[in-house]
Amino acid sequence: MSSRQSTRPDYFRVFLTFARNSLVRDMMFRTNFLIEAITSLSWAIMNVGFYWIVFEHTPSIGQDTGWGKYEFFVFLGTTWIINALVQAFFMPNCEEFSEMIRTGALDFALLKPIDTQFLVSFRKVHWSSLSNLLLGIGLLVLSLQELAHRPVQPWRLSASVCLLYPLYILCGVAILYSLMTCLAATSVWLGRNQTLYDFWFYITNFSRYPMEIYRRGWGIPLWFVFTFIIPVLLVVNVPARILAQPVSGKSGSEWPLAAFTVLAAAGSVLASRWVFRRALAAYRSASS
Amino acid sequence: MAIIEIENLTKTYRVYQKREGLVAAIRGLWHREYRDVYAVRGINLTVEQGEFVAFLGPNGAGKTTTLKLLSGVIYPTSGTARVMGFVPWERHNEYRRRFALVMGQKNQLWWDLPAQESYRLHQQIYRIPPEDFQRRLDELSELLRVRELLGRPVRELSLGERMKMELIAALLHAPDVLFLDEPTIGLDVVAQHNIQEFLKFYQRERRITILLTSHYMQDVEALCKRVVVINDGVIQFDGSLDEIVDSFSGYRVVRLHLAEGQSAEGLARLAEVESIELPRVTLRCPRGEVARVLARVLEDYRIVDLSVEDPPLEETIARLYENARGENRQSLAAATEA
Amino acid sequence: MGTVTLPTKASIWWTIYRTALAERLAYRGDFALGTLMRFLPIITQIFLWWAIFDAAGGGAVGSTRLAGYSFHDMVAYYLLSMLGRAFSSMPGLASTVSKQIREGEINRYLIQPIDMIGFLLLGRVAHKTAYYAIAIGPFALVFFLCGNYFPAWPEVDVWVGMFLALVFAFLLGFFLDLCIGLIGFWFLEVSSLLFVYMLLNFFLSGHMFPLDLLPPFWRQAVGYLPFQYLAYFPAAIYLGKIPADQLWYHLGIEACWLVAVIAAARVLYARGLKRYSGFGG
Repeated sequence: MSSRQSTRPDYFRVFLTFARNSLVRDMMFRTNFLIEAITSLSWAIMNVGFYWIVFEHTPSIGQDTGWGKYEFFVFLGTTWIINALVQAFFMPNCEEFSEMIRTGALDFALLKPIDTQFLVSFRKVHWSSLSNLLLGIGLLVLSLQELAHRPVQPWRLSASVCLLYPLYILCGVAILYSLMTCLAATSVWLGRNQTLYDFWFYITNFSRYPMEIYRRGWGIPLWFVFTFIIPVLLVVNVPARILAQPVSGKSGSEWPLAAFTVLAAAGSVLASRWVFRRALAAYRSASS
Repeated sequence: MAIIEIENLTKTYRVYQKREGLVAAIRGLWHREYRDVYAVRGINLTVEQGEFVAFLGPNGAGKTTTLKLLSGVIYPTSGTARVMGFVPWERHNEYRRRFALVMGQKNQLWWDLPAQESYRLHQQIYRIPPEDFQRRLDELSELLRVRELLGRPVRELSLGERMKMELIAALLHAPDVLFLDEPTIGLDVVAQHNIQEFLKFYQRERRITILLTSHYMQDVEALCKRVVVINDGVIQFDGSLDEIVDSFSGYRVVRLHLAEGQSAEGLARLAEVESIELPRVTLRCPRGEVARVLARVLEDYRIVDLSVEDPPLEETIARLYENARGENRQSLAAATEA
Repeated sequence: MGTVTLPTKASIWWTIYRTALAERLAYRGDFALGTLMRFLPIITQIFLWWAIFDAAGGGAVGSTRLAGYSFHDMVAYYLLSMLGRAFSSMPGLASTVSKQIREGEINRYLIQPIDMIGFLLLGRVAHKTAYYAIAIGPFALVFFLCGNYFPAWPEVDVWVGMFLALVFAFLLGFFLDLCIGLIGFWFLEVSSLLFVYMLLNFFLSGHMFPLDLLPPFWRQAVGYLPFQYLAYFPAAIYLGKIPADQLWYHLGIEACWLVAVIAAARVLYARGLKRYSGFGG
């Protein structure tokens, strides 16, 4: 048979089939869509409500950081967008990955003539999580409209922002994906582990606020660890800064950080690949 | 040409007590108790193209481990294996495109989706040309009589129907070698029969090589000429079914229907009595003695009917396992003494 | 049931309690670590509020007050609200109840001479006892480390008030969750309802922020709901936000809420059972 040219699957088409199958599946449970939309809407309202109240009491988060009300809402919208992407594409797969390790269903993934990490990471798309994406974009648009009227440096759309913002969103998603894959892969050694999922939640919690707030007192070591070692602080901060460009006295330090973020994203993905391989090797010599 | 060559294949597991929870796991990082468990020890086996081989053995004998080694899901501890010239655990894409594994206890189809959606995914992953894909899907669903079920979510199918769907998934890329791990487990007699018939037909038509594990004797009797008995990770027997019966059941079963009023007294002196439910009596007697025992019985008792049979295959195999276990224990004892 | 004497009844309940307690204690290691980890988000909260006070006061963090809270009060508030939640949160209660209804497990309360609500309450008490026995370590550690955020040691009646508030918070939390779970008699799917309830609870109980930060109108509105007793109230007592002369008044209102919710749970249970048996399970 014509085995020569066709041994490599077309990864993009495989991904499309995954996405399509997931959509067919999600459409069967249409009420879930609605429920998901309602819950994410109520969660969003609560979040905005909380920060609205906070900004009733303060002009900005941190002195001279430039994170005023609408700048921060840009930050919040960016958080939602990134989380929505992670939840839609990777969360269900990573959860299933550790479940597959536990039940031995990973065997089937190993049989397929396709990269195993790809197969495991993209198998399912949780379409209904994308309602958060819409909410995030909505919040972004509303806040940017406000920022377009701010007295100092009114916000304007530029070509570089159009290019860089999506790029850094992807970097952020890549960093979170890698972290999640590494955590899920540890199930090979640790067995099922609820505590690890809590761990995920607590670590990513650090990404939810502007990084400036940690740059004081005993926050410096935290800032260092979560910027350079487990780079979750970069995930939302860098794209949000690019978009909102807070008027900051200490500007000029943006570009090294931006360059480092690309490196960090690439490094994280490579690290996740390394951990994934180690996990597979351990699984394959231990499964029965 | 040998399609599967296995030499001295051994797989041991280092087992430690996995505990749930982070604290226990962290504690486990410092002190762990390991224990080596042999799943397969030094197996040698050659299978020719087009053979249909059954692996028989009790639970935990090493059947599934062997299949997993051959499909490259796990690494061996030592030894070599080649399937169609490939080393399975190198997991070459070319190799993975040429075999399939079906496990009766696990399903790989998307649970909530119709099977055809999963098949389309297979088509992408295995890069099956559209016309081949459609033709095979038509053929297979026709043969298994599940054409009208292709559009139904897998979770709504019965166990037997699901197994058929799994088989189709495994055969869509026209593998040359097929590994079946207990494909009929949990199925009712009719579904079991259907699947046996299909496998028999498909294997004869395509001349593909199939390795099957099962502990249902019907599967083996219906499908395989060659039987490999594995127990405790060692090959105990490799040959045809008839040979098993000949060499491992040294006795035959004699069933008597006694005449009215005839007591069964004294029969125990002639042969081992398996059961007495008057007027029926079942005896077992060694092969060489059947004629002598029958002569005495006919002479001394009034008989309405009698029959002489081979013992059921299950029983023979069970004996075989037991023998083997005893031998292993002995050899183990010898090894530890030495 | 009527003929069972009180001592027998007590011994039955005691056995149920002990069994549930033993089951819970089996997981103590994870419990301790999990509790400690639960304080991690407090760290980000501290830094967030540090930055907020910083900006609000133009750099004078120490002397700035937001809605009457100093920065230290704020940190202490979050820690104390964790304590309140440790009493009032009922992880898995509503979902377990609705699942038992859905899957017919509830039959066992119809067959065996046990009252379901009492059984569940006792199980929860055991659950919480086990939790406190282990969580007291992490709590003591964190409270000790953050000792200088807390105001001066309060008076005895504040302690008494807080203790009562915590016990009430437990009971109120239990019966509120139970009511949500019992709605499962009428709707098969309560998980989405449950999620919205949890969000509301999180926001309105003061777990997310001190309710005093709310604009006056909303503050008043939230005051008419029972949720504030689940996290805000015990913390506010300790921080002296509740004037001494109003402490008992508020506790009285909380008790009224408690009675109302218990009655609601009883009515829901009785009606639900009637409906359930009517449909033949």
